[in-house]
Amino acid sequence: MQTVNNVAEPSMTSEGDVSNRTGQQPVISIRDFDFSYGGNQVLFNINLQVPEKEIVAFIGPSGCGKSTLLRSINRMNDLIAGISYCGDVRINDQSIFDPTLDVISLRKKVGMVFQKSNPFPKSIYENVVFGLRIAGRNKREELDAVAEESLKRAALWDEVKDRLDSSAFGLSGGQMQRLCIARAIANEPEIILMDEPCSALDPVATSKIEEMILQLKENYTIVIVTHNMQQASRISDRTAFFYLGELIEYNETHALYSRPREKRTEDYITGRIG
Amino acid sequence: MPIQQKNISVKLDARFSVSTTVKVIDYVMERFIKIGGIGVIAAVSGIFVFIFLEILPLFQWPEVKEIGVVSMPQREYLEMGVDQWGKKPFFLDTESNFHFLTLDTGQITTIPAQLPDSVRVTAYDYSQEGGTLVCGFDDGRFCLFNVEYSERFIDGVRELEPSIKRSEIYRIGRTGHPIESITYADSGDQKIIAVVQDTGARATVSLVRLMQEQTLLGSGAVTIDEEYDLTNQFEGTPVLLLAGTQADALLIATDEGRISYFNIDDEDCELMQVFQPFADLADPAINTLDYLFGGVSIVITAATGENRVFSLFIPANGTSRLFGHTKSFPNFTEPVTNYSPSLRNKAFLLSSDRTLSLRFATNSSIRWEAQLDYNIRDTVISSKYDRLMVLSDDSNLHVYNLHDPHPTSGISAFFSRQWFEGSPFPKFEWQSTGASDDYEPKLSMIPLIIGTLKGTFYAMLFATPLALSAALYTSQFLDRRIRTIVKPTMETMASLPSVVLGFLGALWLAPLIETRLVFIFLLIVLLPVGAILTGYCWSRLPMKIQRGVPAGNEFLVMLGIFVIGFVACWYLAPTVERRFFSVVDPVNGQVVSDFREWWRLTTNTPFEQRNSLIVGFVMGFAVIPIVFSIAEESLSNVPTALSSGALALGASRWQTAVRIVIPTASAGIFSALMMGLGRAVGETMIVLMVTGNTPVLDFNMFTGMRTLSANIAVELPEAPHGGTLYRTLFLGALILFIFTFFINTLAVTLREHLRSRFKTV
Ligand SMILES: Nc1ncnc2c1ncn2[C@@H]1O[C@H](COP(=O)(O)OP(=O)(O)OP(=O)(O)O)[C@@H](O)[C@H]1O
Ligand SMILES: [Mg+2]
Repeated sequence: MQTVNNVAEPSMTSEGDVSNRTGQQPVISIRDFDFSYGGNQVLFNINLQVPEKEIVAFIGPSGCGKSTLLRSINRMNDLIAGISYCGDVRINDQSIFDPTLDVISLRKKVGMVFQKSNPFPKSIYENVVFGLRIAGRNKREELDAVAEESLKRAALWDEVKDRLDSSAFGLSGGQMQRLCIARAIANEPEIILMDEPCSALDPVATSKIEEMILQLKENYTIVIVTHNMQQASRISDRTAFFYLGELIEYNETHALYSRPREKRTEDYITGRIG
Repeated sequence: MPIQQKNISVKLDARFSVSTTVKVIDYVMERFIKIGGIGVIAAVSGIFVFIFLEILPLFQWPEVKEIGVVSMPQREYLEMGVDQWGKKPFFLDTESNFHFLTLDTGQITTIPAQLPDSVRVTAYDYSQEGGTLVCGFDDGRFCLFNVEYSERFIDGVRELEPSIKRSEIYRIGRTGHPIESITYADSGDQKIIAVVQDTGARATVSLVRLMQEQTLLGSGAVTIDEEYDLTNQFEGTPVLLLAGTQADALLIATDEGRISYFNIDDEDCELMQVFQPFADLADPAINTLDYLFGGVSIVITAATGENRVFSLFIPANGTSRLFGHTKSFPNFTEPVTNYSPSLRNKAFLLSSDRTLSLRFATNSSIRWEAQLDYNIRDTVISSKYDRLMVLSDDSNLHVYNLHDPHPTSGISAFFSRQWFEGSPFPKFEWQSTGASDDYEPKLSMIPLIIGTLKGTFYAMLFATPLALSAALYTSQFLDRRIRTIVKPTMETMASLPSVVLGFLGALWLAPLIETRLVFIFLLIVLLPVGAILTGYCWSRLPMKIQRGVPAGNEFLVMLGIFVIGFVACWYLAPTVERRFFSVVDPVNGQVVSDFREWWRLTTNTPFEQRNSLIVGFVMGFAVIPIVFSIAEESLSNVPTALSSGALALGASRWQTAVRIVIPTASAGIFSALMMGLGRAVGETMIVLMVTGNTPVLDFNMFTGMRTLSANIAVELPEAPHGGTLYRTLFLGALILFIFTFFINTLAVTLREHLRSRFKTV
């Protein structure tokens, strides 16, 4: 049950607004967003906009609400009991909290990759085409084509093409994570949300996934949560820094790293708070 | 503070060494767990071994041991009999003297028959059951001897005092013509005697009925009541006669091997049947013909050594009992010379010159067979079925101890069709005890196994869909707060004693459902259909309305539908019953609208109030909480990462449940079903109380059943310790044990398979 928590705090920054500069409609636009678990408010008045086909990185110390915000974008938080929020999240200028909106189609549009890879107990192939199957698309040729295409884009095809029918659990951690990405891509979303996709991986696997994310940028808008500052600087176009549930600073990545406007941002990226 | 090197090392040592308490506890616990585990295994194997040892004697062959030989004076002995204790056999010689032999001492007491000098015995028949010897004379007369033993106790030792009571000499048939063959039967109220007489031309057969006056002072004089001449009622030359043990039948065998069966009642003597037992043989002649204990079956041997049993039963399209071929035994290589029935069961002893064979009719088995090193003159089985006595040609009496406590049992008795006396065909039947001594115990395990499977089937049929869908709904869809109420409630349900369930089922539910069957069936059909339709309509409603009911509380809508469905079925049922289940009562021609009648008349199968449907409901009720709890647990334990993954890909809650959660939890769901199955298979009280405990062989929904477990409960009080029934009940227990063992093994194997297939990282 959602009650509206009114936290009337004036907007601290207007950096979240990027539409002025790019001149185009942002794909995701978060406005005055507050969020609480039970009575415990974890997000305060977030304002943030993500332009199309860009990579936005969320950084910030642990527990500052990055995952919560990310999960709000495709309403995965709905599964948690006792949450409440106020404000709005709009995707393509449509509120995701609109009562007439179908959550299922929202989640198809906004794919998600979790911090811990979660392949289904099925074959590699079935994992990739799961989204199609639940959408009722069962034509073998179509599934084959999509599976190959998605696995290729997730840079996994070469490694698994000979064992598509074996269990997904036979893959390594990095491969599993890429499989989960392939699974998300196969659904042809517009936006992909990634919650620390590389946190459990070694540098080689990490760089593979990073490469892949950069390629995905051509077709998708990507929001990625990361604790790895280098990663954020390497792959993202924009970076948002959160601290204790507030969005402290949001700017183009190189600008944020080279000339942080806020003291707390500077402290964080130089490793003084965390 | 300066720290000394030594101190540090000591400290380190102490830090890394495990304290003695921990070590001791570790040691003790490890031993304790080991001993406990071994103890459990030992206990289970112990139970298994115990049951196994209890049933082992059922499959053992008899032990026959010669315990002594007594030499009798060299004479030609006609007939041999023995008292009920097997202590003092008697022998009738050709001079009509009765020689009583005391086995313990070898002493012989001779009692002469005191017949008039003018007569000579030409035919005799001795029935050990009544201890009556009938002798026919060369002048066409006969008399009866009663061999009686009176007991006396001298210094606490039983002494048997034999005596011979001779009746008057009666005339029968054609006076003056020698009697060639004679037979006698006594049922208590009626006695009959039949004879074959040589009249020079064709031999004649006459039958008389004797009357005994019953006075206040006891049995009075015996007089001849009625006489029949049967000579012209059959064809051929009579060679053997056999009177039915209930004095209600006479069998006449001719030299061509044809048997004419006459039924004798108070008024009449009627030819019922003529049959030729060895019609298929080159030489159909009959060698011996006699009744088995009980007087329903006859054991016939052919001149060539074939051995068959014919029994009285009402044939499929007949109305009266006739003889039919029921059993064949392995051949004798030489003609059979002697036949002795057991007076305790369906065993009989056949002998030829040197072969002695103990056979058992019910299961057509040869219990024991031996080649002897002497020629056999006569044989007898003691009435307790514990001794065999064989008289040799050279007048030696060989006494054998017979140890055969379980002749009726055996693999075929338990697991194959048996042709029981009185039945028109072989069948699987359980009916362990009967009203009379000559009852054939019917010990087939098949009806009990079928009953067990049937009860389990109906219980699982009812419980599985309900328990699993409830578990799925509760774990995946139901509001968390309601879930915390539902789960403990279900667990309470599991702890309901089955005797309470059985009691409610038998006394409340069974009569309640009996008259409302159509309503119940409508519910079973319409409620799920209604639920699915409602679900469909609900999903079509605009989001706004759907939002009105918070997630997890949709069942409230369903609840309304259920109430409506219930009421609708209630009012619809009488109409449906009238419309579809009306039949014309064959007795009074009226149309009745009663499902029970309709079922009886349409399917020609019985309808019982306490039937499998009720068992399904009540036992299902006992099984549901078990299946529900375990299934719900395993469904809830599916990692949320998996279901979130599916939801994030745009799967609906239902799709997530069906495609991800259920397969992942399949091992647990399977275990749940197996636990339920195990409970249903072993459940005793409910089936005991809710069914009529009739051992049946069908899966008919409206008849009851008898399960292995209920059978043990029902019959154990009546089973004497160590007896065949007692051990057979243990066999039932073993089968039950094997059932559950099999189910569990299957469950574990399949569960492991599923678990490895759907294991999560
Ligand atoms: N399911 C939940 N129920 C209650 N509180 C939660 C729940 N999930 C997160 N929180 C709280 O919300 C706050 C933000 O959590 P969140 O997971 O969004 O942090 P995060 O920035 O992603 O941290 P990390 O970098 O460690 O992943 C934390 O204080 C956390 O304790
Ligand atoms: Mg997080």
